[in-house]
Amino acid sequence: MTNSVNPFILADGKKPSCMEMLQLILDGEATAGQQEYFRTHMDKCAPCFKSYNLDNTIKELLKTRCCGDSVPAGLIEQIRNQISQNQAS
Amino acid sequence: MEEEIPKNSYTNQEKNDIFNNEFLPHITSMYNFGYRLTFDQDDAKDLVQDTYLKAYRFIESFQKGTNAKAWLFRILKNSFINDYRKKSKEPSKVDYQEVESYYNSEDVDRQITPDLRVDSLKDMIGDEISNALNSLDVDFRTVIILCDLEGFKYEEMAKILDIPIGTVRSRLHRARNLLKEKLSQYAKSMGYKNTES
Repeated sequence: MTNSVNPFILADGKKPSCMEMLQLILDGEATAGQQEYFRTHMDKCAPCFKSYNLDNTIKELLKTRCCGDSVPAGLIEQIRNQISQNQAS
Repeated sequence: MEEEIPKNSYTNQEKNDIFNNEFLPHITSMYNFGYRLTFDQDDAKDLVQDTYLKAYRFIESFQKGTNAKAWLFRILKNSFINDYRKKSKEPSKVDYQEVESYYNSEDVDRQITPDLRVDSLKDMIGDEISNALNSLDVDFRTVIILCDLEGFKYEEMAKILDIPIGTVRSRLHRARNLLKEKLSQYAKSMGYKNTES
């Protein structure tokens, strides 16, 4: 842990868990101060380091393996035709 | 009480420009979302078509230059719940109260992350990742699609799903742990008997 105040601490004073901090970091929701704090924290927290690499890998794999479906041929044309028909009626 | 949406007045040319330049570029993401909700190409196609027709019909509720992708995803999600899910499948049985309590408990950090290795994940060259995602309950699957596949921010997800940001976070957390459990099972079936690193 660093000597600085944990910038993840919420307004109600509740200290976030490692997993809560990690999720904000991985999802790009952390502020610059939170990112800096977490980088230092991760150097001293083995579970966070391991989870960071694992969760980051899963996130990347999801993006590369689950986004490949192509739009069926003719769908855009079908939508355009339907809109034209609706406008005409 | 429903939020009042200010209407815009667009000419036909402006409507077509918005449709072509702001709505249509998202059709691949929309189809992927529809397919991962329904697991059926024809149903996904119908959902996407229905979404675009609604988007055009209500185009004056859309403010040009704002987040078209989030707006379209919200329409598709509502169509899925109101039309598709109602006529074809029983609603989700996830007990979110239980999920929230679970997330807020002290057990959450120490027990659910399975002993899964980065190496074993990278060896999954087939459909394991996709199958693991598809195996999740639709509400957990949805938050992963929106966040990890489509890159929506928590605030956008909250608007698309009509839930508070805190619920987005807790649902994501739970969804990812379920996904890891599934991937861990696949890793073991692939011969990674000791998945500890």
